[in-house]
Amino acid sequence: MKAFEVLNPGILTTIQDLGRPGFMKYGIPASGVADSFSAGIANLLVGNSSGAAVLETTLFRLELLALEDLFIAVTGGDLSPRLNKNPLPMWQAVSIQRGDRISFRARKLGFRAFLAVRGGFDGPKFLNSRSVFARGLMGNPLKAGETLETEGDGLRLPCLKPLPADLIPVLSAKKPLRVLLGPQEERFTSQGLEAFLSSEYTVSSQSDRMGYRLEGPKVEHVKGADIISESIARGAIQVPGDRMPIIMLWDAQVSGGYTKIANIISADLDILAQVMPGESLHFKSVTLGEAHRALREERALLEKAQRAMEGRG
Amino acid sequence: MNDLSEWPKIRPSGDSAVLVEFDNRIDPEVNRAVRSLALTIESERFPGINEVLPAYRTVMVTYDPLEIEYEALLEKIKIYLGRARNMDLPARRTFRLPTVYGGGHGPDLQRVSEILGLPPEEVIGVFSETRFLVYFIGFICGLAYLGGLPDKLRVDRLPTPRTLVPGGSVGFAGGQANAIATDQPSGFNYIGRTFVNLYNPQTFPPIPFVAGDEVLFPPACEEEALRAKGRRAEDFL
Repeated sequence: MKAFEVLNPGILTTIQDLGRPGFMKYGIPASGVADSFSAGIANLLVGNSSGAAVLETTLFRLELLALEDLFIAVTGGDLSPRLNKNPLPMWQAVSIQRGDRISFRARKLGFRAFLAVRGGFDGPKFLNSRSVFARGLMGNPLKAGETLETEGDGLRLPCLKPLPADLIPVLSAKKPLRVLLGPQEERFTSQGLEAFLSSEYTVSSQSDRMGYRLEGPKVEHVKGADIISESIARGAIQVPGDRMPIIMLWDAQVSGGYTKIANIISADLDILAQVMPGESLHFKSVTLGEAHRALREERALLEKAQRAMEGRG
Repeated sequence: MNDLSEWPKIRPSGDSAVLVEFDNRIDPEVNRAVRSLALTIESERFPGINEVLPAYRTVMVTYDPLEIEYEALLEKIKIYLGRARNMDLPARRTFRLPTVYGGGHGPDLQRVSEILGLPPEEVIGVFSETRFLVYFIGFICGLAYLGGLPDKLRVDRLPTPRTLVPGGSVGFAGGQANAIATDQPSGFNYIGRTFVNLYNPQTFPPIPFVAGDEVLFPPACEEEALRAKGRRAEDFL
């Protein structure tokens, strides 16, 4: 079913689902929504499965015209979403009419917003996923004039009551991003490790869905920045010869030959997705056990949200 | 501690992957151990294990920590390491991809020839007679990491990488070779181009090579090379 006409594609808007894990051995990154919690909630609110395809939009300017009466939900960063001339409430399902305009006017908090539509967005499927990865010839970002369609009817009725406030992520708190050191931490001097763990780093403007380049105190190697190329896990922080860390993210290359000092823990990738270039961040080292506990808590939160919306919470 | 007791090493690489490391060198025998382990783990399909990623000298195993505990995964991998010694690897296939050398299709041929002090014909001759081993697939969009480049052709990467190299370009740097599958930035020296299709995200698998395959780039005139345009690499076995 036709759902929207794209009046303005914004800075960067792509269709994303949970991505295509399983193809890294063919050199293909998993891609998928950058903030899986926010995207999952948006889907659950409109009655979709948490992994249905959504729009992931960055910063501002996206403008859509509804071609049918629809149920939508917007979550993630606060990019001042509007329904016609009024603010569009976030973190709840909203019924909109044919002819309504949805727009994102200005970034207030966070960096990426997610728009789910009842039935999920349709789009070409490549290797089991609708996630756009233009560099790999798998779809393209939204263009002006394009028509967006829905795939199905949704699983359940939309949940029109707002999400319980304790389930909405707080974006303003300046928490450190938790990392697990390694796998090449011994390739850095103690000063290098100290600088990495105690300094503020600014996210450079050369940052995108592939990776965040950081600017700040140099992270010193013992001897050389190169290793024999090996696979790169999502959230790995590599430090090339210029000693500036790069966080490898959703659309990143799957292998590379630079030393990796640490890895963002899985539970904190959603937080990182909401950090904007120009903002600063800092790291805190945790144990593997702590990282796994944090992931368990994050999954439990999504399950709690699902129960709440199914009326069983 | 000697080398035998030191390798392989297993350590976390983030909270959802472990890295199994073999001897720290690029070597066909080391890579054989890598491929044996990867195939053993894949053939067991153990719950909680998501992806098995062989590289030159490492196997990365990604897992869901909520489905399998790290310690349990380590125990499993140790068992697989024992079994991998008896694993039969698939028979080696040999691809022969017609390649047009020099001119607009090989922008670095002249420069490489000057650096190496070899006439362009000899650079082409040595390169095209080399049987390259596919060590693993990675980087982006199915880039095959090729080993076996003769020492005669050892040159550095470009000081400044090109922002866009067309897919199918064939080249080398730092003792390695590659044929890039799609248009990408690269710092390798490109001396030729094949028009055989090396990447198609609409098919499975999206790329023709697997680790352990062999690839040759026999010289072809432009007309002959272009006849291969869009054809599957499997047609050139």
